[in-house]
Amino acid sequence: MTRQSRAAWLFTAPVLAIIALVFVLPTVLALGLSVTDYSIYALADWSNLRFVGLGNFVDLLTTPLFWRALGNTALFAGLGVPMAIGASLAAALLLHDTTIWWKPLWRVALFAPYVTSVVATAIVWRFLLNTRFGLINYALGLIGIGPVDWLGDPHASIPAILIFVTWKIFGYNMIVFVAALSAVPQDLMEAARLDGASRWGRFRHVTLPAIGPTLLLAAVMSVAGFLQLFAEPYVMTMGGPAQSTVTVLYFMFDEGFKWWNLGQASAVALILFILILGVTIVQTRIGRRYEWL
Amino acid sequence: MGRGAQQGYEPTRRAMLAGGGALAASVGIAGCTAVTGPAPLRFWATSYEGDYSPLLMPDFTRATGIPVDVQSVPSTAAHEKMLTAQAGGALPDVMMLPSGWIGEFAMIGAVMPLPGPALAGDVVPGALAQTRIGDRCYGVPWSVAPMVQYYRRDLLAAAGYQAPPQDWASWRTMARALKRRRPDDFVLLSLLNWPDTLITMLFQTGATLLRDRDTRGNFRTPEAQAAFAFYLSLYREGLAPRALSTEVQDAVGAFAQGFYAIWPSWPTAMLDFERRKAEIPAAAWGIARMAGPDGPGPASRLDAALCVSATTPRPAAAWALVRHLTSAANELRFQRLIGNLPARQSAWTSPQLATPLIAPFAAQMREPNPAPRVLEWERIKIEMQLVAERIVRGLLTIDQGLAMIDTRVDAILAKRRALVDAGRIA
Repeated sequence: MTRQSRAAWLFTAPVLAIIALVFVLPTVLALGLSVTDYSIYALADWSNLRFVGLGNFVDLLTTPLFWRALGNTALFAGLGVPMAIGASLAAALLLHDTTIWWKPLWRVALFAPYVTSVVATAIVWRFLLNTRFGLINYALGLIGIGPVDWLGDPHASIPAILIFVTWKIFGYNMIVFVAALSAVPQDLMEAARLDGASRWGRFRHVTLPAIGPTLLLAAVMSVAGFLQLFAEPYVMTMGGPAQSTVTVLYFMFDEGFKWWNLGQASAVALILFILILGVTIVQTRIGRRYEWL
Repeated sequence: MGRGAQQGYEPTRRAMLAGGGALAASVGIAGCTAVTGPAPLRFWATSYEGDYSPLLMPDFTRATGIPVDVQSVPSTAAHEKMLTAQAGGALPDVMMLPSGWIGEFAMIGAVMPLPGPALAGDVVPGALAQTRIGDRCYGVPWSVAPMVQYYRRDLLAAAGYQAPPQDWASWRTMARALKRRRPDDFVLLSLLNWPDTLITMLFQTGATLLRDRDTRGNFRTPEAQAAFAFYLSLYREGLAPRALSTEVQDAVGAFAQGFYAIWPSWPTAMLDFERRKAEIPAAAWGIARMAGPDGPGPASRLDAALCVSATTPRPAAAWALVRHLTSAANELRFQRLIGNLPARQSAWTSPQLATPLIAPFAAQMREPNPAPRVLEWERIKIEMQLVAERIVRGLLTIDQGLAMIDTRVDAILAKRRALVDAGRIA
C-alpha cells in the first residue's frame, strides 16, 4: 500500500465505519428478520420466534393489499416521475429565457415548497382540496367543472396526492436543470438558429443532448423517491379512501411499526430494494445507450 | 496536557481545547445538580389528558418534591410510539394507556403489576376487569368513556323530536325526517375510517366477533349481518356523509353549522363544545345513549388507565403519581377541565356528576364491555372498518365483506392460533 492510499483509507475510515454500523449492519439484520416470523409475540418472549424461510414472501404474494400497494406505487411512479420532471424542466426553461425578469425571486418562490415541512404543506393542501370549501374546487367551478371529492373518491385520491407531491418537489430538479441549461453551448445554439432550426428542433437536438446526463440523474432520483413515497399519503389521506393511496412503504410502516410484524415488514423492504435496484439498472442501460453516462 | 506540563506551561492549541472542554463539562454537571434537585418523573398521556394533566402536577410536586415532565402524545400515533419506546427501552415512568391495550403491553413486559390491592379498590364496576390479566391488575383505571350520541336540540326540535329515539327503527324514522327538512345536510357524522360506531352496532346486536377461543373471526353471523345492514343503510340513504377523518377538518364547526345533527362521540367532546360555545351555545346540544336494535345496549368504550413502566428506576414515586392522579378529587377536577368521567366509584356521589348531561354516560357505564380480550383487537377493528368502508362505497356486498373480514382476521390471528394450539398462551 502506498503512502497515498494509506492516507486515503485513513480519511475515509470514519465514514466507512459509520456506514457499516448504521447502514450495512441494519440491512443484514433486516435480511435476517425477513426469514423469521418476528412479531409482537417475539418482542414478549424470544422463544416465540420461528424460522420461516421464504414464508413471509409467500404470504406477501398472497396478500391482496400488498399487490394493491405495489399497483398504487407503480401508478404513483409511472405518473409522478414524468409529471415532476416535466414540471421541473418546463419551469427551468421558462427561468432560462432571457426575457424573464426578477429571476432570483422566481427561483426562490418555486424552490420554497421543496424546503417547507411536508406536514405543514399537507395540511394547507387538505384545505385547498376540501370538497365543499376548497379553493381548487372553487376554481374548477369557475370554469364549469363540478366539485371533485379529491380526498374522498378512490379514483381522485392518487391524482390529488400527485398534484401535491409535484408541487412540493419540482423545485429541486428545477434548480438542477437551470444549472445544466446554463452549460448548454451558446455557439451550437446560434449555429442551429442560423441553419434555420425551429424552436422545437433546437430543444430536441441541442438542449436535450446537452442536459441528457442531468435528466438521467433526475429520473433515477425521482423514481427512487416515488417508489419510496410515504409521508404524503400518510399525512394527507392515511392510506385512504378504501386504501387507494396505500404505497409499498406505507404498507411496510403499518406492518412493521404499527403492528410490530417486523418479519413481514423486512420482507417488504427487501422486495422494495430489489425493485428500486432493478429499475435503476434499466435506467442506466438506457443512459449508456445514449452515451449519457 | 502531559507534554505541556513537562516542558513548563506552554499553551498549545490542543491543551486549550482539552482544558476548555473539561471546564465546560464540570460547569454543566454542577449546573444540573445545583438547579434541579430530583430528576423529574416522565409521564405520557394522549389527547386532552396529555394537554391538561400538567395542571394536576403542581399539587403533586408540592406534596412530594418530585417534578413531573408531561408529554402529550398524539392519539393516532400512540400505539406505534409506545411499542417502539418499549423496544428501545425509552418508555416513561408512568403512562396513560387505553384499557384495551393493557393486555398487549403486559404481555411484552412493558408495564408492571399493581403493588397492592389498595390502588384498585373503589373503582366503578367493569373498569377494573379490563386491566386484569390472569389474577393481577396492570393498571389503575383513570377514566371511563362510553360512546354516546351528541345531538343538536334545535334541529331535532324542528323535526318534532325532543331527543333521538332509542331503537333503530324509530331513530331512522327521525333521521329521514331530519334529512327531508335539510336535504343538503346530513344527520349523522360517522367517519369511514373510524370503527367505533360500527363496533357499537355489533355489540348491540349481540354479535360474538371471534370464535374458537378467540383464534378465528366470527363475522358471518346473522347478528353481524344485521349491524352491517343498518350501518350501510345510513350511507345508502344519504343520512351520513361518506367522509374520512382526513376530509373533515373541523367536526365541531360542522356540527355547529348544522352540517350534521348527531355525532357519536366520547365524554371529551363536552370540552370541544364548551370551548366553542360562541358558535354552539350549551342550549343547542344534548346527549343521549346510542340507539340499539330494540333499545340501548352495550357500546364501544374508550376507557383509560394509568400504568407504570416495568423498567422505571423509581417505582415508589411512579405509583405515588398514579395514586395522586387517580384520586377521586383529581378525577373530579379533570372532569371539570376536560369532561372526562371518573373511574373512582366514590367520585360518582359528587353532585358535580348528577346533571342531565352526565346521566346518559352514567347509564351507559353500567353496561358490560363485550370487546374480545386479545391483543390483536385494535388491528381487527381497523381491518374490519377498512372492509366496511369498501362495502359503503359499493365495492363489496355485505356477504362478501363479512367473508373478507373473517379471512383477514384469521390471518391476523394466525400467530395467536399457533401459540394457543401449542398451549403457550390461553
